[in-house]
Amino acid sequence: MNQAYAVAAVAVVVLATVLIGAYGLRISRTTSDFYVASRSVPPRLNAAAISGEYLSAASFLGVAGLVLAQGVDMLWYPVGYTAGYLVLLVFVAAPLRRSGAYTLPDFAEDRLESKRVRRVASAFVVGVGWLYLLPQLQGAGLTLGVVTGAPRWLGGALVAVVVTAAVAAGGMRSITFVQAFQYWLKLTALLVPAIFLVLAWQGDGAPRTTFDEPATFRERTKVTVEQTLRLNIKDPLGVAVHGRIDGVRHTGDKVALPPGPHRIDAGTVLEFAKGTAVPEATNGAYSSAGSRWSRPLSGSRDDHPLYASYGLIIATFLGTMGLPHVVVRFYTSPNGRAARRTTVVVLGLIGAFYLLPPVYGALGRLYAPELLLTGNTDAAVLVLPGKLFGGVGGDLLGALLAGGAFAAFLSTASGLTLSVAGVLTQDVLPSLGIRHFRLATCLAMAVPTAANAAVSNLPVADAVGLAFAVSASSFCPLLVLGIWWRGLTAAGALSGLLVGGGSALAAVAATISGRPQHGWPHALLAWPAVWSVPLGFLTMVLVSLATRAAIPASTGATMARLHLPEGAAGPVERVQGVGQ
Amino acid sequence: MIALCVLGTVAAAVALFAAGAAFGRLSARGGRAKDLGTPVERATFHTLHTASLAAPPLRAGLTEDTARKAARRLRSLLGTHALCLTDQASVLAWDGSGGHHRAQVMEQVGQVLENGRSQAFPVTCDDMDCQVRWAVVAPLTADNGALGTLAAFGSRESAVLVRATNEVARWVSVQLELAELDRSRTRLIEAEIRALRAQISPHFIFNSLAAIASFVRTDPERARELLLEFADFTRYSFRRHGDFTTLADELHSIQQYFSLVRARFGERLDVTLQIAPEVLPVALPFLCLQPLVENAVKHGLEDSVAKSRITISASDEGAEAVVVIEDNGVGMEPERLRQILRGEGGPSSGIGLCNVDERLRQVYGDDHGLVIETGVGAGMKVTARIPKYRAGVHSGPPLRRQPRAD
Amino acid sequence: MGRPVRTQSEINEQTTLGAAYVRSLMRSQLRAGLAAFAVLAVVLGSLPVVFSLLPSDLSLWPAGPTLVWAVLGAAAYPFMIVIARWYVRRAERNERDFADLVE
Repeated sequence: MNQAYAVAAVAVVVLATVLIGAYGLRISRTTSDFYVASRSVPPRLNAAAISGEYLSAASFLGVAGLVLAQGVDMLWYPVGYTAGYLVLLVFVAAPLRRSGAYTLPDFAEDRLESKRVRRVASAFVVGVGWLYLLPQLQGAGLTLGVVTGAPRWLGGALVAVVVTAAVAAGGMRSITFVQAFQYWLKLTALLVPAIFLVLAWQGDGAPRTTFDEPATFRERTKVTVEQTLRLNIKDPLGVAVHGRIDGVRHTGDKVALPPGPHRIDAGTVLEFAKGTAVPEATNGAYSSAGSRWSRPLSGSRDDHPLYASYGLIIATFLGTMGLPHVVVRFYTSPNGRAARRTTVVVLGLIGAFYLLPPVYGALGRLYAPELLLTGNTDAAVLVLPGKLFGGVGGDLLGALLAGGAFAAFLSTASGLTLSVAGVLTQDVLPSLGIRHFRLATCLAMAVPTAANAAVSNLPVADAVGLAFAVSASSFCPLLVLGIWWRGLTAAGALSGLLVGGGSALAAVAATISGRPQHGWPHALLAWPAVWSVPLGFLTMVLVSLATRAAIPASTGATMARLHLPEGAAGPVERVQGVGQ
Repeated sequence: MIALCVLGTVAAAVALFAAGAAFGRLSARGGRAKDLGTPVERATFHTLHTASLAAPPLRAGLTEDTARKAARRLRSLLGTHALCLTDQASVLAWDGSGGHHRAQVMEQVGQVLENGRSQAFPVTCDDMDCQVRWAVVAPLTADNGALGTLAAFGSRESAVLVRATNEVARWVSVQLELAELDRSRTRLIEAEIRALRAQISPHFIFNSLAAIASFVRTDPERARELLLEFADFTRYSFRRHGDFTTLADELHSIQQYFSLVRARFGERLDVTLQIAPEVLPVALPFLCLQPLVENAVKHGLEDSVAKSRITISASDEGAEAVVVIEDNGVGMEPERLRQILRGEGGPSSGIGLCNVDERLRQVYGDDHGLVIETGVGAGMKVTARIPKYRAGVHSGPPLRRQPRAD
Repeated sequence: MGRPVRTQSEINEQTTLGAAYVRSLMRSQLRAGLAAFAVLAVVLGSLPVVFSLLPSDLSLWPAGPTLVWAVLGAAAYPFMIVIARWYVRRAERNERDFADLVE
C-alpha cells in the first residue's frame, strides 16, 4: 500500500473535521437572514449527525473483521446496533427530549430529584464512555499501523491528541455539521471501494465455494509475522520459512510442520503455496472458525454459542439508549415529535451503512486469509483494495478507506470525550469550577489512552460489546422505568444502577483480565447482559416497591412533562400574521 | 219560551260565574303559596337582599365611610335598636339610638380584640328612655387577625341577638377577607405592570409607534408588517405564563425588536448573528437577553452618531450555551458599571443589566452571572453562560410553581 | 387557543382530573411501544433458536446458509424501519387524539 496516499487521506480527514468544527456555522448573518440562523436543526441533518457519531471503529473495521474470523453469527452486531435505535425510539426518544435533560445524569436528577442518583449515574457515564473510547483508540492504532507501519500505540495517541485538542479548544462548536459530514464521509469511504471490490470479485469469476471451506490461500502468499505467534495445527502443514519456528532458524527452506502447537518468532516470513489451508493463531481471542463459517452457531470461539448470541442481542438492543454520546445529540431536536422522526431517519442511515461491512468480511475471507494467521482480522477492510487491485487504483481506494476509518475514530471519540468531559466537569470535579472543562477533557482522554497501552489484544467490536452490556444493565432500567413507571424511587434507581451496572462492570473487568477461559463461567462473564439486565430491572422494581413512601413529590408533574405533546399544554404557539 | 230561555241563560251564567270565581280563588290561593313564597321564605329573601346591599361597601375594606354605609344595612339585617362598627382603636360608625355609649363600648372592644371571642354585657344608662340596655360585641377577623368589632344593642338580654350578631360578624369578616384579596390582587397587577415597564421601555413603545406611523402614508404595506411585528413582540413580552422560555423564542423576539428599531434608524444599525443551532432548544429565564440587546442598541445608537455594529452569538460549549452580545457603542466607565450591577445605578440606565444579572444568578448560581467587558469609548461585550440543563428550569408551562427543596 | 385552556389548566395544575388525562395518554403510548418492541423481539429474538434448529448437513438444505446471510445481512434493516415507521405514525396519532380530547 502506498503510504503517501493514505497519510494524505488521513490528514485531509483530520483537517476537514477541525475546520468544519471551528467554522461550520461561524459564517456571519445579518438580520434579514435571521430565520435561517435561528431555525432549528432539521431532523435529516440531526439524524446524519447522530449516525455519524454512532458509527464507530467497531462498525467501520470491527464488524468486517469479526465476520471474516467467525462468520455469519457476527452479523448480530450490526443488527443489534441498529435495533438498539428502534428500542430507543419506542421507549425513550420523545420523552427523553421532552424532559429537557442534556445528559443521562441530568435525566436521573430531573426524574428522581436526587443528587445521589445523579452522582452514581455520572460514574456510569464515565465508565461506559471510557470502555467505548478504548476500542476507538485501538482501532486508530491498528489503522495507522496497517497504513504506515507505525507502532500500535502511535495511532491511538494521535487520535487522542487531535480529539483532546479539538474538544478542549472549543473546536467542536458546530458539532452537528461535523458529525453529519463524518457520516457521509464514512458511507462514501465504505461504499465506493465496496462497489469496486464486488466488481473485481465478479471479474474473478465470483468464487464462493470457499465460503463453506476452511479458508485457503488462493495464491502463493508471503506472510510476515509481526508479533510472536502460537499456532495449533490440525493437519500437517508445508511452508517455506525465513526465520525461527519452534526455536529453529530456517533460511527459506521448506518445512513440514506436524499437527500440534508451534511457536513462530516475530519477524519470521512464511511463504504458503497456493491452496494451502490457513492455520489460525491461538494467542488472539480467536480459535478456529472451522469449516462451518457461513453457518450460524457452528464454530465461534464460545462453548455456548446460543447463549452468546442472546447475550449479544440483549446488550446491543438495550444498550444503545444508555450511550452517553447518543443521548446528548437528541437534545438538538426542537421537540419530542422531531426526536422521534429523527430516530427513524437514523435507523435508515445506519441500516444502509451496515449493509456494507459484511461484504468486506466475506471478501476478506477469500482474498486476505492470512489475517486469520496473524489474528489481525480488524485490518480486513483496509488491506482488501491492495489485495484485489494493487497499483494506483488500489492505493487510492485504500487511502479512501483509511480516511473513512479515521473519520470513524474521530467522530465517535470526540463525541464521547465531549460527553465524558462534560460529566466530569459537572459532577466529578465541580469544586474546580465551571472553567475547568479543558482539564476534564484531558482526563477524559488520558485514562483510555493509558488503558490502550496496557490492554492491547481486545478485538474492537468485542470491547464495544462490553460497553453496551454495562449500559444496558444500568441505564436501560433507569430510562425505561423512569419514563414509564411512576413508582420508581431514588433508592430503587440507585440500587438498580449499582447492582445491574455494577455486576456487568465486574464481569467486563474479569473478561478483559482474561480470568475464566472456558465453559459456562467464561460465557456468563463474557456475555453478562442476559443476567445483568433482568437483575438491574428486578432490583430497581423491588427496592422501589419497598421504599414506596419515598416516591418523589413531583413525579406527576414530571410525567406530564415527559409525555404531553408540545403544543397540547405547552406554550401558546406564535400566531403569524394576526388580524388577517 | 223566551222566559225559559232567559232563565236558562241566567242560570248558566250564574253557574259559569260561580265556577269561574271558585277557580279563580283556588288558583289564586295556590299560586300565591307556590310562586311568591311563604312568609319564612320572604323573610329569607329580605335578609339576603339586605345582606347583598351591605356587601359592596364592605368589599372596599373597613373605613369610616364604608362602615357608615354598611352599618345602616346591617342594623336592618339584625333588626336591633342600635349597631356599631369599630376598628381596633375607635368607633367607625354608629347607627340607631344610644350614640352616647360609644366610650363604654370601646372599653369592651379591647378585650374582644385581644382574645378574639365575642362578649355580651349589660349597658348602664342614666337615661330612662334609652333603649340600649344590653350589648353583644363580636370580632371581625380577616387573614391577618382581628380588624375591628361589630356591636349590636338590644333592650334586654337575648340569646337570639347573640347568635345573630355572631353570624353577621362572621359574614362581615368574609367580606373583609375578600376585600383584602382584592387589594393584594390589585397590588400584584401593579407589580406586574411595573415589571413589564422595566422590560419594555415606554420610549421604545412610543418610538416604535411613531416610526410605524411615519410609514403609514409612504409605505402602507411596510407599516402593516411592522405593526404585526410590534403586536407579536409585545405579545411575547407581555405573556403571563412560565418563568422560562427557549433560546429560539427569545431570539425570535429579538429579531422582531430589531426590525422595529431598524424602522427608525435604518442603515445606521448593523447586526450580525452567529447562532449554533444546537443551542436553540436551551431553556433560559424569560426575557433575559432582550434587555441586553436593547442596552447594546441604546449604547450604540442613541449616544453616538456613528454607525452602530452589534454582534450576537450563541455557541455550543458542551454542557453550556454561551451567548455573547457585543456593541461598538460609547461603552461605560467600569466603576459606573459596578455601581449599576450593585443596583445603585439610578433609574436612567442599566436596569436591564442589573435585573438580568440578578435573575441569572438566582437561577443558575453566582458563577453564572453576566460577564461584562467595557471601557469608555470601547464598546461593551456582555457574556452569559447558560447551562443546557438545570433542575427545575423547563421552558414548558409552569407545572411547578414553587422552587424545589433539594 | 381559547377553549382548551380549561382542560389544559387541569393538567398544568395537576388536579386528579389532569393526572387521569396524562395517565391515559401514557397508557396508549406504552401500548404502541410495547407492540412495536414485541414484534421486534419475537421476530429477531427467535432467529438464533431457528438457526440452531437448521439441519447441520448442508445437502439437506443447500439454500440455508444463503438465507441466513440474506436475513441478517440485509432483510433485518428494512424490517426494523417498517416497525419504526408504524410506531411513529401510531404515536403521533395518539398525540393528536389526545390534543383533540383536551380541546
